[in-house]
Amino acid sequence: VSAGGRAGRGTGWYVYGVVPAGEAHDGLLEGVSGLAGDAVGLVAAGPVAAIATRVPLDEFGEDAIATNLRDPAWLEGRVRAHENVLAAALAALPVIPFRFGTIYRSEEHVREMLGENERFVDAIERVRGRVELGVKGFVATAAPAAETEAPGASAGRRYLEEKQRARRLEEERQRLKARAAEESHERLAAAADDATANPLQSQEVSGREDEMFLNGAYLVAIEREDRFRVALGELEQELGPSGVVYEMTGPWPPYNFVEDPE
Amino acid sequence: VNGRSPAAQHEVTLLELVDRVLNKGVVVTGDITLSVADVDLVYVGLRVLLASVSTLEQPGATAK
Repeated sequence: VSAGGRAGRGTGWYVYGVVPAGEAHDGLLEGVSGLAGDAVGLVAAGPVAAIATRVPLDEFGEDAIATNLRDPAWLEGRVRAHENVLAAALAALPVIPFRFGTIYRSEEHVREMLGENERFVDAIERVRGRVELGVKGFVATAAPAAETEAPGASAGRRYLEEKQRARRLEEERQRLKARAAEESHERLAAAADDATANPLQSQEVSGREDEMFLNGAYLVAIEREDRFRVALGELEQELGPSGVVYEMTGPWPPYNFVEDPE
Repeated sequence: VNGRSPAAQHEVTLLELVDRVLNKGVVVTGDITLSVADVDLVYVGLRVLLASVSTLEQPGATAK
């Protein structure tokens, strides 16, 4: 990224994240395409450097970005680009990921932001050599009623029996969910360096009919990733037969582990 | 972890991605930053997108 240049009124600087300046070099992001097809580069200030790209303000300006966010195709492309840039950096360096949509009017403003945030130096050391893994846990919703019925039983009696059976199943399911939630997070957190249980997502957001009981994020040292997977595999073996399903994603840049707890 | 169809996998990953990229990560004040209201709108748009994917997956599902 060249200083000054044509950064005029029509472009801004989009910041993806921060890396340690001493370990970063421009070749790191060679061939990685950014949000707007422009080259991705580094803007250094002291011990840290921002991974940044020049973006046109007619796409990323205040009003434009608010409008574009409502376009799912635009959003998907830009969100994936944001992640791809960070993933490329993560392969070589500790990375502090920024939230989507942090834009400055000039390279100088990016430098000022870096200078004002000494916390990035400590944050980099906390995540060095580690990645984030996401684990969601689900329990199957109640199975449909079996079609067995006692011969000669009246319709009213069948109805009551069916109702009791459904209630018993639901109670069992709630017990399983509570047990799975507690054990899963505890055991996965024990296999990680840091852990956070995020709010559960509704069935509508998760897009699944199963009910979510865990929405966890785990900060795991790269050399202990296998051990983490073993811990998850053990949970699957124990609770899987009762209808518990896990979904693991990652490795991610440490999105969940870069903001200081208030 | 479990076998899912490519379309369903795509859906999960995009949702995971949006959850992280828009809700997590370092927050600093830029010259231009997204407001919470903007991000809420994203979820509205995204549900439409995901609903269209899951409708393809499960013929029984109703898209809103």
